[in-house]
Amino acid sequence: MTESTRPPAPSFSKAVLAIVRKDLSAELRSRELLSAMLVFALLVILIFNFALELDVKVRETVTAGVLWTTFAFAGTLGLNRSMSVEKDRGCLDGLLLAPVDRSAIYFGKALSNLIFMLIVEAFTLPVYSLLYNVNLFQPGLLLVVLLGSIGYIAVGTLLATMAVQTRTRDVMLPILLFPIVLPVLLASVKASAGFLNGLDFAEISGALNLLIAYDLIFIAVPLMLFEYVVEE
Amino acid sequence: MLLQATPDTTGYMIAGYALTFIAMGIYIFSLSIRAANLKRDLETLEMLEAEERAKQK
Amino acid sequence: MPSKPLTLKFLDLASILAMVISTYLALVFAPQEVVMGNAQRIFYFHIGTAWVAMLGFILAALGGIIYLITKDLKWDRFELAAVEVSALFFLITICLGAIWARPVWNTWWTWDVRLTTAAVTELVFIAYLMLRQGLEDPEKRARFGAVYTLLGGLSVPVTFMVIRLFRTIHPVVVGSPSAEAQGGFNMDDRMVATFLFALVAFTIVFIDLFWHRVRLGALEEKVEQQKLKASL
Repeated sequence: MTESTRPPAPSFSKAVLAIVRKDLSAELRSRELLSAMLVFALLVILIFNFALELDVKVRETVTAGVLWTTFAFAGTLGLNRSMSVEKDRGCLDGLLLAPVDRSAIYFGKALSNLIFMLIVEAFTLPVYSLLYNVNLFQPGLLLVVLLGSIGYIAVGTLLATMAVQTRTRDVMLPILLFPIVLPVLLASVKASAGFLNGLDFAEISGALNLLIAYDLIFIAVPLMLFEYVVEE
Repeated sequence: MLLQATPDTTGYMIAGYALTFIAMGIYIFSLSIRAANLKRDLETLEMLEAEERAKQK
Repeated sequence: MPSKPLTLKFLDLASILAMVISTYLALVFAPQEVVMGNAQRIFYFHIGTAWVAMLGFILAALGGIIYLITKDLKWDRFELAAVEVSALFFLITICLGAIWARPVWNTWWTWDVRLTTAAVTELVFIAYLMLRQGLEDPEKRARFGAVYTLLGGLSVPVTFMVIRLFRTIHPVVVGSPSAEAQGGFNMDDRMVATFLFALVAFTIVFIDLFWHRVRLGALEEKVEQQKLKASL
């Protein structure tokens, strides 16, 4: 964070970028977060393969569900790790002391979490395509993946910040996150399945609109609420 | 379904009403237990405080 | 703790009386519904509890907002009481719905809009209570709780809309042409009177329980303060 030492206080975007750069370079060195998420995602897909007997017929109906369950589980793993590292190494306190807006910290953390999630998805999608011979590279589906991940991470970053401060930190995040993020997962599954099964856009647009509405609400609200979950 | 005689579903009705009253009863009971426990704690704590004060004098 | 106010004593009596009258009206006064038989009488309590559960849900979110603005722990107690009592009534509503659905829809549970949303709300409440358990500091607990109720208050309506994209079989009891086929029915005057009285009765019971829970919260806070004083 060389920029932030220079007075006066750095601009919002500079602060956000500094946090993202810090997270990415730390991850580039250790690779512990991404590797855990990726291996976990693969394992989930493997388990689904045997649990659901993913033959050709079943695949058509459950692919969207399997993908989003995988993303959701891998996502909690990443969020938990990303926020507890901040907490354990006292980085969060350090960040809070820096003369930047609280919302910039939220935005920076959310952005780097989103990048991690997208990397995992960028890896999982081709692997799934390859293993099951389904073409997942459709622009519509990729849009849904992006929108769904944004909503998931926007809420997840806020709730993970809360979860790592509780006594039962490791188990708290999924319990807090899943009931709140349920609409994102449901709408994403519905929209993804729509694109995969080649439905008319009119049939998918309802889910897409809800997804966009959720994203907007749940970027704006955590942005306002974040200061309440970090102040001491 | 429309042309049949009214089915006897009294059992379900009784189950429903019993459940409502039992659930509310349990909740009220838990409120009173919690209140009693807290009152006891408070009394103990106040007693300890009084003893502490007496010692200091 | 100050002794019980006279209004609360009066409210206790009123709740008992209202429940007795409401039960009498529902079980004896209201005529038997022809298609569903006596199980239809569950409907009066089902709607009564559902209404106050919704009320509690809204009050909890309001309490959260006011707490974040005022930082007065009084509003935290308000919010906690609303969540707890609302969780109780949601639970009763869900169980009553299942008991009613068994003879009428021939299934205990369906993944219908209102049923699922009620269940998700219940999960949000359970997560809220678990979150509070994991936090020691009363001020932090209040802040996190308020943030979480706010997120829940925003997300549950979206969940409702998302699930509505899927098909529903929950009856719209009043004024829907297809309602009758799905378990809706025409209400005669005595049924309407019973229905309205049940709403009033459960509102009284809700206020009574809510008040008691707020007082219990005040007592909890007092004990916590005493403990803090003793540990110094």
